[in-house]
Amino acid sequence: MKELLATVKENKRIAEGIWAITLTLPESVGEIKGGQFANLSVGDSAYPLKRPLGICSAEGNDVTLCYQLKGEGTHLISQKEAGEKLSVLLPLGNGFDLGNAKNVAVIGGGVGIFPLAAVVRQHAGAVNFRSYIGFRGKQYACLEDVFSKGGSLTVATDDGSMGMKGNAVGAFLSDYKEGAADLIISCGPPVMLRALKEALKERGIKTKCLVSLEERMGCGIGACLVCVCKKSDGHNARVCKDGPVFDINEVEL
Amino acid sequence: MAQLSVKICGVNFSNPVIAASGTFGFGREYNELYDISACGGVSTKGLTLEERAGNPVPRIAEGRSVILNAVGLQNPGVEHFIQNDLDWLKSKTRVVANVAGRTLEDYEGICARLDGLVDMIELNISCPNVRAGGMALGIKPQNVEEVTRLCKAVLKKTPLIVKLSPNVESIAVNAQAAQRGGADCISLINTLTGMVVDIEKRRPIIANNTGGVSGAGIMPIALRMVYEAAHAVNIPVIGMGGISSGRDAIAFMMAGASAVQVGTANFTDSYAIPRIVREMDEWLTSHGIAHVNEIVDTLKLN
Repeated sequence: MKELLATVKENKRIAEGIWAITLTLPESVGEIKGGQFANLSVGDSAYPLKRPLGICSAEGNDVTLCYQLKGEGTHLISQKEAGEKLSVLLPLGNGFDLGNAKNVAVIGGGVGIFPLAAVVRQHAGAVNFRSYIGFRGKQYACLEDVFSKGGSLTVATDDGSMGMKGNAVGAFLSDYKEGAADLIISCGPPVMLRALKEALKERGIKTKCLVSLEERMGCGIGACLVCVCKKSDGHNARVCKDGPVFDINEVEL
Repeated sequence: MAQLSVKICGVNFSNPVIAASGTFGFGREYNELYDISACGGVSTKGLTLEERAGNPVPRIAEGRSVILNAVGLQNPGVEHFIQNDLDWLKSKTRVVANVAGRTLEDYEGICARLDGLVDMIELNISCPNVRAGGMALGIKPQNVEEVTRLCKAVLKKTPLIVKLSPNVESIAVNAQAAQRGGADCISLINTLTGMVVDIEKRRPIIANNTGGVSGAGIMPIALRMVYEAAHAVNIPVIGMGGISSGRDAIAFMMAGASAVQVGTANFTDSYAIPRIVREMDEWLTSHGIAHVNEIVDTLKLN
């Protein structure tokens, strides 16, 4: 983990309101695991907080972060051009630990697909992925090629403009066969993760399921106790340091 | 190279830049980024006698050049800190234990427990308190004086800092109340109370609705208050509020602070504290000033 002044290599729109920024780091930060994230500076002192963005790919010293244009900060990041410099703190969080899993079901919704894409990219070939990714509509769809390379891909859209009409959890359930996956990994809006937890319980699916959570963050390294989630044992966990990846049964969603 | 060491209430700090409470945990996480011996000291995450879960999330929001937080004193409790973190933190730097409570007895109890174990104790009197009917003890001067006196009475070894809230009628009057109560030192400012709203949802962003405002945007207010407080008392003052550079820290010391604390800047630049120390050294050296103490309280008013 280091904070470095990185150079923007490329910064482009990849879908409606979704951008990917590739940064060249001045030095190595060691191994980056799928599901880890980076805290990217907006590059303007009017915005003191760095933005926690999912790492979508890491090759050599080039790191690509995907982000949704949400407020002024992400808008300013989208205006950064190749050659400009931004401070970035990475890699943060625990990332997805696939263990010995050989068949992994991937359930992603909206901007939650970014950390999942990093996992699929990293393990494609060695692990068989069955991916179910959901978007609000066709115009928001991105990174399908990454998921396709890792195995099968089912796309679902809320409005039916692409793939099946419905959501990623529904797509996973309609395709579910007992024993087909030895691990489920998921990331998406809280409502999707809650639906997934509920569905696993209802259907009696005991497959280990890891979810990546999102929360407003301060330091990004576990010191400020801003981004907590509630664990099932009643204690708080730090999303940035103890997570963002947790066993779905370990956290309250 | 200028001399940067400062002595406050008999405690030697290798430099005057202390990590502010709540932004730095107990130092372990930042020590993964750099050796935190580079900090003059660390003011711990606010400690209470018992473990506290804190507020619901979201606990943070951003405004222009400021952030707002409402963490709600989440901490593992003072015993957990003593057992797991204190020795390690002491091996690194000076330890200022920031403490809080719901009742006056809580404050007395935690001060008694930490007396002699830490370098200094910093009272956080900006949190809602039973004694003040849910209002913070730090608001009314008589409450400031009372809690200070009670804590001072149980502290036999460790010097007491009272951290003043800026959400008050007169910062000078409250500084004097702390001094009358027996404070060895005051620190200020704690955060200003504020709100940030999501107009699409017509709701405040922070779950607690309001939060404490900190960061570069509050520095002029903090500097004015440090100046006023420092000139109202004859005990040392630790200044804070929006410091993000060596020049900022020097301004606070010129206004009367013997040392400074840095909080929000740690979020913007993880290496803020060692950078600020370096920048102070550079400024002093370039101005031919041999020791940082020489700039304290040297402000000339117009």
